[in-house]
Amino acid sequence: MPRPVLGRSSAISASRTVAGEPRARVAHLDRDRALVEEARRDPLRFEALYRRYLAQVYSYAYHELGDHHDAEDATERTFLAALAALPRFEERARPADGDGASTFRVWLFQIARNTVANQRRGRRRHPVASLDAAATIADPLDVAGGAVTRDEAAAAWRAVGRLPADRRQALVLRFVDEMSTAEIAGVLGRSEGAVRVLVHRALRAVARDLESGRGDR
Amino acid sequence: MSLLDRDATSADALLTDLYLDALLAGAVLGSAADGDAPGAIDRDLDPAARRAADRLRRDLVRVHPSFRFEERLATRLAEAAVAMRLPAAAGAEGRIVPFRAAPFPLDDEGAFEDDDPRAPTRDLSRPLLIGGALTSAALSLAGAALVAWRRGRPSRSTPPMVRAARAARAANAARRLS
Repeated sequence: MPRPVLGRSSAISASRTVAGEPRARVAHLDRDRALVEEARRDPLRFEALYRRYLAQVYSYAYHELGDHHDAEDATERTFLAALAALPRFEERARPADGDGASTFRVWLFQIARNTVANQRRGRRRHPVASLDAAATIADPLDVAGGAVTRDEAAAAWRAVGRLPADRRQALVLRFVDEMSTAEIAGVLGRSEGAVRVLVHRALRAVARDLESGRGDR
Repeated sequence: MSLLDRDATSADALLTDLYLDALLAGAVLGSAADGDAPGAIDRDLDPAARRAADRLRRDLVRVHPSFRFEERLATRLAEAAVAMRLPAAAGAEGRIVPFRAAPFPLDDEGAFEDDDPRAPTRDLSRPLLIGGALTSAALSLAGAALVAWRRGRPSRSTPPMVRAARAARAANAARRLS
């Protein structure tokens, strides 16, 4: 199933007509604007935003912390903090962010990133993606290939876990949460160019790790 | 790092970015799985980086929390949302509306006529907080009325010490008058 791509490439395709002529830019709307406005009027309506982003925030926390309980804790703190701070949220989506962009998502992940960082600091141990994680994502129906898949997945997780924090976060946001470079730049507080280089270097480091077989250990 | 190296890194990074956009959109997943590598991006990209990207795309997947956790957190958020609603229901939603500004000072000292060029041009309006303030004032009035009613109708269950104090005060007042 094709995954949606948010950001630059979709912005380029959206700004061109079938004939290839650039289309006049229209006022950009945050994808979540309607839901955010409803939640501001009535905090109980925050549930729609919660349901939409729960899996993404949880996945980010899980890949960063490597433990289900820690991930649940971080997810809970993130959403409670977001609900409390919602009146102060400012929409800052730009046309360059693309039609599917959501500054609410960027804002939410900024909170998640801070929450996860605090949690990691609190427990003071280097996070290594657990083997349980790889077991969780292996295809349960593929009994024959399950062991191989689990081993390969575990090796990939270990390789990512060995990266420096900023590279690891950039990769997780890119692959797991399928964020565009612009969105990752917003979450990490860096320029888009810096994020591109960050992801590129992270990918090469993982490639070296996996090719040398170090990821298997 | 020289400028040339930096440019080369930026160009490679841009290439990687374009490849990941296509990969995550599903455009090259099938071809990557078949070992086929169509397109200029695939040809120019470092094969090791491409293989790593394909593998991460497969192995770094989104994980969903348990249903029990999802519902428990939903309940917790709903409770927090209700708690956020309560202050508003108590009148904290007061709006700031401006007073109607008096044209100019009306007293004789330093008063200005309407067409006096020396008349102040600044906005004389003052903000007025209503809503929460009105609720607060209404509660204060009700409290004052209750106290006045209680003072006028001392109950029979007044403690002996209070009755003695009142009697002493009345006796003192009578002595002063006489």
